[in-house]
Amino acid sequence: MMFPETLRQLTWVLLTLLSHYRRHPGQSAFMAIGLLTGVALWSSVQLINDHAKASYGEADQLLGAESAYWIRNPDGGGIPVEEYISLRLQGFAQVYPVVESRVLTTSGEVIPIIAVDLLALPPAAYGSGGMANSPLAGDSWLPFIQPGYQSWYSAELAERLNILPGDEVVLSNGRKMPPALIQSRSQQGFRAFMDIGAAFSVLAEENLSYLAVTALDDTTRAKLESTLPPNLRLVKNRQVLDLTQLTESLHTHLAAMGLLSFAVGLFIVFNAVRFSLLSRQGTFNTLREMGASVQVIGAAIILETIGWSLIGTVGGLMSGYVLSGVLLPTVAGTLQSLYGAIVESDIELGLNQMLLAWLMTLLGLVLALAGPLWHRLRMNVIEGRSGSLMWQQDERARMVMMWSSLPLFALALACFYRIETVVDGFVVLTLILFAAALVLPVSIQFVNSMVLNRLSRRNWKLRWAASDAFAQLPQLRVALMALLLTLTANIGVTTLVNSFRDALSNWLEIRLSADIYIQRTVGNIDTLAVTDGSEWRIASHQRTGVSTRWRGRPAIVQGVDVSAPDIVDMQLPEQLSDASAPWASLSVDPQPILANEQVKHLGQVALGETVRLESAGQQYSYVIVGFFHDYGTPYYRFYLPSDVVKQRWQNVRSEGLALWVAPGMLEMAEQTLIEKGIDPGEWIRQADIKRVSLEIFDRTFQITAALNSLTLVVAGVALLAALLAVHQQRLPEYAHWYSLGVTFQEWFKLVAFPLLLMVMVTGLLAIPLGWVLSWMLVYKLNVVAFGWTMPLVWSWMPVMQLAMVTVMVVISALAIVALQVRRRLPVALKQLGGMGL
Amino acid sequence: MHEINMLEIVKVSKTFSQPDGNVKVLDQVNFDLPSAASAALLGESGSGKSTLLHLIAGLDKPDSGDILLDGELVSSFSDRQWNALRRSDLSLIFQQFHLIPTLDVMDNIQLQSRLAGAVDQELLVYLITRLGLSALSKRLPHQLSGGQQQRVAIARALLHRPSLVLADEPTGNLDGETSRSVIQLLLELTRETGSGLLIVTHSQEMAGYMDHRWHLSGGRLSRRSNASLEN
Amino acid sequence: MRSVQVFLLLVLAMCFAVSDLFAADNYQLLRSSPAGYAPVVPGKNIQFPRDHLPHSAFKIEWWYLTANLTDDSGGEYGVHWTLFRQSMSPDEPGDSWSNNQIWMAHAAISTPEGHLYEERFARGGIGQAGVQVNPEGAFSGWLDNWSLVGHSSAPVPGVLTFTVQDKRIELNLNAVTPWVLQGENGFSQKSEKGQASYYYSQPHISVVGSLIDAGSEIKLDGKAWLDREWSSQPLASDQPGWDWLSVHLDDGQALMVYRLRQVNGKHWYSGTLVSANGVSESLSAVDMIFKPIQQASVKIGGSAARNLPLHWQLELPGRGKQWIIKAPRPDHWLNTTFPYWEGPVKVIDAESGLSVGDGYLELTGY
Repeated sequence: MMFPETLRQLTWVLLTLLSHYRRHPGQSAFMAIGLLTGVALWSSVQLINDHAKASYGEADQLLGAESAYWIRNPDGGGIPVEEYISLRLQGFAQVYPVVESRVLTTSGEVIPIIAVDLLALPPAAYGSGGMANSPLAGDSWLPFIQPGYQSWYSAELAERLNILPGDEVVLSNGRKMPPALIQSRSQQGFRAFMDIGAAFSVLAEENLSYLAVTALDDTTRAKLESTLPPNLRLVKNRQVLDLTQLTESLHTHLAAMGLLSFAVGLFIVFNAVRFSLLSRQGTFNTLREMGASVQVIGAAIILETIGWSLIGTVGGLMSGYVLSGVLLPTVAGTLQSLYGAIVESDIELGLNQMLLAWLMTLLGLVLALAGPLWHRLRMNVIEGRSGSLMWQQDERARMVMMWSSLPLFALALACFYRIETVVDGFVVLTLILFAAALVLPVSIQFVNSMVLNRLSRRNWKLRWAASDAFAQLPQLRVALMALLLTLTANIGVTTLVNSFRDALSNWLEIRLSADIYIQRTVGNIDTLAVTDGSEWRIASHQRTGVSTRWRGRPAIVQGVDVSAPDIVDMQLPEQLSDASAPWASLSVDPQPILANEQVKHLGQVALGETVRLESAGQQYSYVIVGFFHDYGTPYYRFYLPSDVVKQRWQNVRSEGLALWVAPGMLEMAEQTLIEKGIDPGEWIRQADIKRVSLEIFDRTFQITAALNSLTLVVAGVALLAALLAVHQQRLPEYAHWYSLGVTFQEWFKLVAFPLLLMVMVTGLLAIPLGWVLSWMLVYKLNVVAFGWTMPLVWSWMPVMQLAMVTVMVVISALAIVALQVRRRLPVALKQLGGMGL
Repeated sequence: MHEINMLEIVKVSKTFSQPDGNVKVLDQVNFDLPSAASAALLGESGSGKSTLLHLIAGLDKPDSGDILLDGELVSSFSDRQWNALRRSDLSLIFQQFHLIPTLDVMDNIQLQSRLAGAVDQELLVYLITRLGLSALSKRLPHQLSGGQQQRVAIARALLHRPSLVLADEPTGNLDGETSRSVIQLLLELTRETGSGLLIVTHSQEMAGYMDHRWHLSGGRLSRRSNASLEN
Repeated sequence: MRSVQVFLLLVLAMCFAVSDLFAADNYQLLRSSPAGYAPVVPGKNIQFPRDHLPHSAFKIEWWYLTANLTDDSGGEYGVHWTLFRQSMSPDEPGDSWSNNQIWMAHAAISTPEGHLYEERFARGGIGQAGVQVNPEGAFSGWLDNWSLVGHSSAPVPGVLTFTVQDKRIELNLNAVTPWVLQGENGFSQKSEKGQASYYYSQPHISVVGSLIDAGSEIKLDGKAWLDREWSSQPLASDQPGWDWLSVHLDDGQALMVYRLRQVNGKHWYSGTLVSANGVSESLSAVDMIFKPIQQASVKIGGSAARNLPLHWQLELPGRGKQWIIKAPRPDHWLNTTFPYWEGPVKVIDAESGLSVGDGYLELTGY
């Protein structure tokens, strides 16, 4: 065959095939919706992940300026301005001052604050515009650095705190934030940005929190280190590395959810492709009867597929881009509150992401196409004309699916015992979920046959309805599988979140037993610790801490008072039988130590084993006598008696003071604090910490909830699409029912009953699967990812809610379908007899 | 022919609008069928035979004219009335059989009677036997041959003793031998159940078996004698 | 999507490009309204050491030193160091972090190898920058580790110290002639509309010092010129910039001329001729011809370049003097917040073609 002729053939075949979509805009719409939602959800998560990871690369930047080092005061007391000025006068222009703190508003919101001296930032901070962007260029900067000042809030933070331009937020210490501007600097994140002068007046503070330092050559660094006063330390900023490591698990979680959404979107596509092929079966046959070769038809289908993949990619990426912008604030909030990572709000779409999205879409489409196409093309023309084959095929397909689920289950079981990383865990989960989805059609068939067998011949209407399930199942099964996955994910993740919240609030209850917590920045904390004799004071606990590294990750060693109430009452999920006694004694060697669970699960250390920690250039061994829960911390943490910490480490900082107050004497206690010169903003009540902690928790899981609902919506759309297609295809059949005298109400019952039955089976199957999923998440993935353990808390409430939502989704889909059928029935009636099925 | 006509069509017209103008498919058509009689409706394809059948079955409405069933003016019936009428008094048989694919032979046969009310068990057994379906009662439609499927459709159409059976090319999908046996059975059984039979066909042979023959052409309906057929 | 962003940026850029031509001029600060600040009026006595110190009631002020130096082997060096002060508001300066003074300093070294410069900022009130008489009674002007410290309450005699990148400059400044009050007893008019500044100079500073570069020390000596000027509005709205020249002639005289360019071409000329023993004569437009002869293309950062007049004709017809002023090192553009050209020049006798002096040329507003 000559090439131009093939091309001409291909063109006509393609045009003939594409004419289908013009005639069936509904099918085209669902194809597009499936591709779009799948790609959009997946790419939005992908974009957020990539963007967050890229932001970690900027963690050595502070508000646009380089911050390769920090100069800190390990005592926690901050750095006097004179010490900073002295460094500048000695020529260290690489050093610039930072104030970072948190304030509490009268409405109980915590606002993190960051302040710098814009005039002291290194010149590179002014961006590509060079010095033309410096503070002295133009006069827009003047109000920022002059009394009156300004607070800058990012649009996201302003929205969360409900702040309008010009607002002066009132704080719990009675002071006001400078007037608000909805504006932000790079790396500002969810922090209010202001001048140091403003911060000092808002915080009633005189000392700088720390100094940031740009990259230094070795000579300058040595010179700077030798110039620093003895109370200050030059520390390397290792956040780029640390954040990447610490947040890895969170991103894997997000990626998994994104992929699930993609899979669910793919189910819609799968359906749409099946129907577009099925309804064009006649066309295929005719084309082949007219002499178009299988190859040409195949090539046309491939071209069509590429076309669809491009539509899906472009549309999906555009919606994903918008969606990621909507979802980003919650993720960014999580990253900042959990890891201190600053993620900016300007997402960029790169060529890599576009290509990846296109490949994913193409892969999905090919997967969706391959099976049906294989069947179609393998059939000869005569077989293709026969409608009844589908029935036998479907029964066979159900069995094939069931049998193919077995190796998946087996593989999942085999992998289950080797879960070591988060990715392993997700692989097992995926295997279980997909295996279960493959079993679903057979399960539905089984339940349906059971119902059929129980019904007597007399109950013919119900029997008819039940048997109609077999007519709907072939087309609906993919959508039902998608629904199963969604419901399972929903139940599993909700249970995880609820279990976590439960564990967290119980833990906070025990851990935060003191009534007042005084911040560590308060200078005269030592004098406060000895407020003995005050009648309100029951007990106090002054914690100390030192930052170090263990196994290459940041670790905190805390010095605790072994007799303080919160240590005495501490509940250890795991401990050596007589843990507390030797731990308290100082003379034992090796020194006993308590570690957080992260040390056990992420550091792979068992009870009774020893850990080595470096202090003052020397390695000391400690034997672990107990593990404690430490939710929300990405770091390793160890507890040692204060004296040991003081003995072995220099640079021990104060971690604040906890006070236990006699019942009903809280006011009196706070009065005393004020008399001692402590500002009302410098302590926080127990109830406030708990509330804020749970708020941060809830914010953290907003993204989960959002993705959950979005996926449910997608599954709903999948079901609707499938239903519409089924009923569109069965219209002639319905017309015939009508000609038999079946009324519309009867039709509705006939169609709705099996659908509800099938959805019910799906839902019931989702409950045990959801439990398995949550079990995996709570006891396996969570431990591997974050090193936290907690008991699984099963609640029927969310399951019921989900059931109601699902029923509502199904009923709405059904209602839409019913309207469609009603509208189209007259046409179908006229064609009755004239056209076959 | 000499009793009250069970079906009477008076000056019925039907026009379809097409992209290239309106087509008057039926133009002031008159037609009658005596009780328990059979008639064949002949005509070229596209001549409007099926349209007339659809009008009689209430699946479509005429632009003008009256349709009377058993003396009742049905052309002004509501959808609800039509539904009731189709359940109890009418039956449709199609070229494609239109069995419910999910129901077995037994359930398929009983379907319309069940919709209409009660199943005449005696007639059921009789029909199954007469149509040779006894051994097939548990089979699903796709497990049957074309002739078998059409026999199921005939059983279903007759079980509720309709006054009129409308058949649209009932043998169009069947080979000659099967067609003849199906038509014979249909004729015999409608006579036994006392139902009228109107079949649309383009086969002169099939039409020859009927009491009356009508020919539709150019929107006009004319009665054909046996003689003209033989010509 | 990135291409969409690029497209949007292009559209935005096109919309703003036109307005940018006007808005990007940072020199607007020098033309902005002096309302609320102290006015510059004639007939005011300049007093020392009082007037060596900041005048915060005036919007803007500077301590400006340029020097032409040579090393032992005759290599030519230029040094340029400035401390600028700006008031953000006409109010009292205020304490600590609420202080309303902004300090900016420029330092530049011109060496046979090239041109190095740096710009720094600081806020007043926190000790990072300022000008004051220190507890030892000495004049002290500083920003970070850049400083000009007098031996007494005057800046000269004194010591100038600063670093640019990894090079360190230490210069001992000495002068025996009195301060020269520019214009009318220090009142220096800048336009016919009344814009003016207070302006005095020390033109005869002898310099001995060194450039320390990675441990090696280059001994330098030569002559420097210190300008002091403060104002609340030194530029009129129709003056895009100025061309300023100071020279030390080999015969011991010093000469300063400048022209403030007017949009209408009727530039404002002024100058001072100072004898070797410090006696000064004011020069006005009628006394001089000061005009560019030739433009040269100068790189101003990145790939951009600008044509600048680096070749001048200077005549004092009444005194029969004709010179050609030439900048031998054109690459002295400072791409700072207020970008400008500043560099050493050679003074050439127009008749003999011989070099008769050295100086510094400053070109702003280009």
